[in-house]
This record gives sequence, C-alpha cells and structure tokens, in this order.
Amino acid sequence: MSTHPLRDRAAIVGVGYTDFMRNSGVSTLTLALRAISAACDDAGISFKDLDGVATHRVNDSVQGAVVLNALGMRDPKFYVDQFGGGSASHTVVGQAAMAVATGVADYVVCWRAINARSEFRMGGTGRPPPDVVEFQYQTPYGYATPPQQFASMASAYMARYGATREDFGRVAIRQRDNASRNERAMMRTPITMDDYLSSRWIVEPLCLYDCCLETDAAIAVVVTSAERARDLTHTPVLVAGAGWGGGHTLYSNHREDLATSAAADMSKRLYAMAGVGPGDIDVGCIYDAFTPLVLVQLEDYGFCAKGEAGAFVADGSFPFNPHGGHLSAGYVHGINHIAEAVEQLRGNAGARQVPGAEVALSTGQSGYVAGSSSALILRKGDRP
Amino acid sequence: MTDAVDRVVPYPDRDSKPWWDCVARHELVQQRCDECAAWRWPPRAMCSACGSFAWSWQTVAGAGTVVSCIRTHHAFLPGFDAPYHTVFVSIDEQADIVMPGSWHATTAPVVGMRVRVFFDDIVVPDGDPVTLVGWRPADD
Repeated sequence: MSTHPLRDRAAIVGVGYTDFMRNSGVSTLTLALRAISAACDDAGISFKDLDGVATHRVNDSVQGAVVLNALGMRDPKFYVDQFGGGSASHTVVGQAAMAVATGVADYVVCWRAINARSEFRMGGTGRPPPDVVEFQYQTPYGYATPPQQFASMASAYMARYGATREDFGRVAIRQRDNASRNERAMMRTPITMDDYLSSRWIVEPLCLYDCCLETDAAIAVVVTSAERARDLTHTPVLVAGAGWGGGHTLYSNHREDLATSAAADMSKRLYAMAGVGPGDIDVGCIYDAFTPLVLVQLEDYGFCAKGEAGAFVADGSFPFNPHGGHLSAGYVHGINHIAEAVEQLRGNAGARQVPGAEVALSTGQSGYVAGSSSALILRKGDRP
Repeated sequence: MTDAVDRVVPYPDRDSKPWWDCVARHELVQQRCDECAAWRWPPRAMCSACGSFAWSWQTVAGAGTVVSCIRTHHAFLPGFDAPYHTVFVSIDEQADIVMPGSWHATTAPVVGMRVRVFFDDIVVPDGDPVTLVGWRPADD
C-alpha cells in the first residue's frame, strides 16, 4: 500500500501562547509577535531561523505582511495570508506542512491573533461585515452573527435526528469540567445540567452555555521538516494528515442538508492520508464554537453513526477537548485546538493529560460559514 | 408596510442586482440554466452542473419547506425587535436551493412546515423603500 507523500513529512516543533484575556490592551500585531516569539523559544530556535509565515483572518487582525516585516524577514520563502475564520484554522498549518516537506521553506510559523472580545467581536455590528458574498442575502433579515449561523444547523440537526438540549448540554458540562484542569482556561467553575437548562437564550435553540467565549489572544506554532524536528527540543509532533474541504454556503446547491457537515466527505481522505481510522484517534480536539458542532463532527469524523453523537458523548469514553475548548478555555479561532493536540502528544498536558495519547485529530470549523473546512491528524514522533 | 427603521438593507452586487430588482417588484425569480435546466441561487454566471453560461430568469412558485428555523433573542443588529424568527426554506422547484428569510405569522415556524413567500416591504429613514423575501405558513 502506497504512503501519501505528505504523511509524517512535517512536524510541529514549537507552540507559543499569549494569555487568554478579556482586554489585551495591545494590538493584534503585538499579540502575534508575543506568540511567535514564545513559539520560537519553545522550539529552541531563533526568530531569525523563520523563513515562512502563514496566517488567516477575517478583516479582524494584522496583515501577514506586517508581521513578516516586523520579524525582519526580508526574503520570505513562503507566505500565506488567507481569508477565513475557524474553517481556515487548520489549512494554514497544512499548507506550512507542504512547504517544509517540499523544501520550499525550512521553518514556517503559523499563527492567529485576535482581540475577539475587546476590539473585533465575531459578527460584531460596529464595523463593515466581512467580505462574505452571501451576507447580502442574510444581514437584511437581522441574520449576521455566529450564534445565528450555528443555531440554524442546530435546528436542522435536532429535527433530523431528535437530538435534545440535554445532548448539547452534556458537551458544555464536559468541556467546563475539562477546563477546570487547565490553568490557561478562562472559565473553570463547573456547571450542572440545571445551570445549562436555566441559562438564557441567545438564539434558539442555543443558550448561553452552547456558545463559545470571546477572547483576546494569539497562539503560534512552528512547523518544520520531520528531519529537522529530530534535532530540536521537544518530541516532534508529526503532521500525519492534513485535510482541506468544502462547506455549506447559500451557493452550495448540492449541500442542502445542514445536519451533516462537509467533514463527512473530507474526513475520509484525511484518514487515508494519515493511514489511520477513527478507532486510532486517542484524543480529539473538535472545533467547538457552539456545542452542536461538536456532535455533528463526532459523527462526520466517524466516531459514531449519524444521530448517535448525543449517546456517544453521554457514554463518555472518548476524550475530546481536554483543554476545555472554545466553550470554556478560550476562543483563538481553532489554533488552540492544534496547540492542545501538540501538548497532549508531547505528554505535557499536566492534570488534563489523556494517558498514552499518540494520535490526535484536531479540527477546524466544518464548513458552516463561508463554505470551507479543514483538519489535521497529528502523531507523536520518535525521539532519537 | 412597517414604520421606518434604521437597519441593514440589501447591498446588491453586479450579479445579484437583477434578482433584488425583481424582489422589489414582488416577483420571486431564480436563474435557470438554458442548457441543462438546473436552477441556481444566489445568482452567478456559470452553471455548476454543466458549465453553461446561458441562462434565464424564471418565476418560481414561491412555495417551499422549512429546513431550519431559529429565534434570535439577543439584539445583535439595530432595527430588529428581539425575539424574532428567521427561517431557511428549501424551494419546491429544486430542494438544494435554500433561502433565508423573515417569518410572518403568529404561530412559530417548525422544520418541515410548508410555506409560501411573503414580500416584506421595509421603510428606512432617508432611503428608498426596500423589499425583502419573507415566508408564512402555506395554509395561513
């Protein structure tokens, strides 16, 4: 059986965080530089070793070119500044993996920097809407924000499969419990089903605890070739598979079923690239802007059958979002899932460590806004 | 006709302006491919089924089925009195055309409900009247 040419050819070798804040008081450029500097320190390299950059944004963060120049990079070998939100969060790391695996660049830093609470709230109405063409057909109806977009898929999912609010609530409760073991998490006080069911509506069928936090933060990861990774500080975390996929938009005539995400198509080639299946995944970092998105992805990435994710979560045997995710740790638009997967595979996750984690799935938003999706399968590499 | 309110109004582009112009005349039209007869919406130049650039506007029945419905309780946008419903409707001509719209009935929408179009005329301060696509129960 042939091996995919990208499988295990690149590695994540450094992770850098800023604090998770309600008001950073600084620019997204400063946040990005802090996270990039911390990621280089973690990798044991100088920022002068970086020769490529990759980021994504939705008109809400500093341009990649500004960061590139602030790093003193006169002649970058690789440069990606992608339009997109959480759906693009994992594509930039996949693209960086291709760049280092093919020798286009040696060390690519990927980041996301946002003042998502203090400056640019997602769907915030004090600024022009992002350049998403379908918004002209939605905003005149008072429909413009992520809780509305994800309430729409939640409504369809509940109607199609009989999912209940309690099914959503168990995701929120589990992730809050996980966050109680994460010192970085913004929300660490456990919640009960009563708390969940009595919290206020935001957009029916979603209540307060179905919605993620809003956070000022940046996270960066350094990607290099598997060969270079062997000589660096940490156990390498190999990019076993990287997936790019489609999604639901008003323009996607063929995707009328909101209860199934684009990940149902994309996950098959992702697993094939990595040479593993759902049963090989030790820990899942599942994009969780809203609780129902976790349930749909648990099904669409093959952990259980369609309509069974509620029971699958209640069963509790599969560890997902040990950091607490966007719902309880902080919202860094997807890259915090990649960072957590790396920490879990390094065995560095402290009180929240999933014992013996060797293969992780980390996912971006599965295509419900602006029509794209992405994910990574990461694998613990060998120490020489 | 509702009272004048300051709110987001349609901002057509070169592809969509003819469609919004039809809506303003209370006509619900869709693009249909002249080659393979596939419907498409929102408007764009090429048929994704056969690749043809030949197409026509055709009037549709304005009937469909609710595939998703939400009720916004938080006042995200000015000019909307929360709580309010928003629905997505799959149209009868082709199920994979799913249109958002406002809700115009005293009963709440539910997934699976049969609906028909309701042209919602909005008055905005210092602006031309605009028309939006709303929906109401088919048997209302």
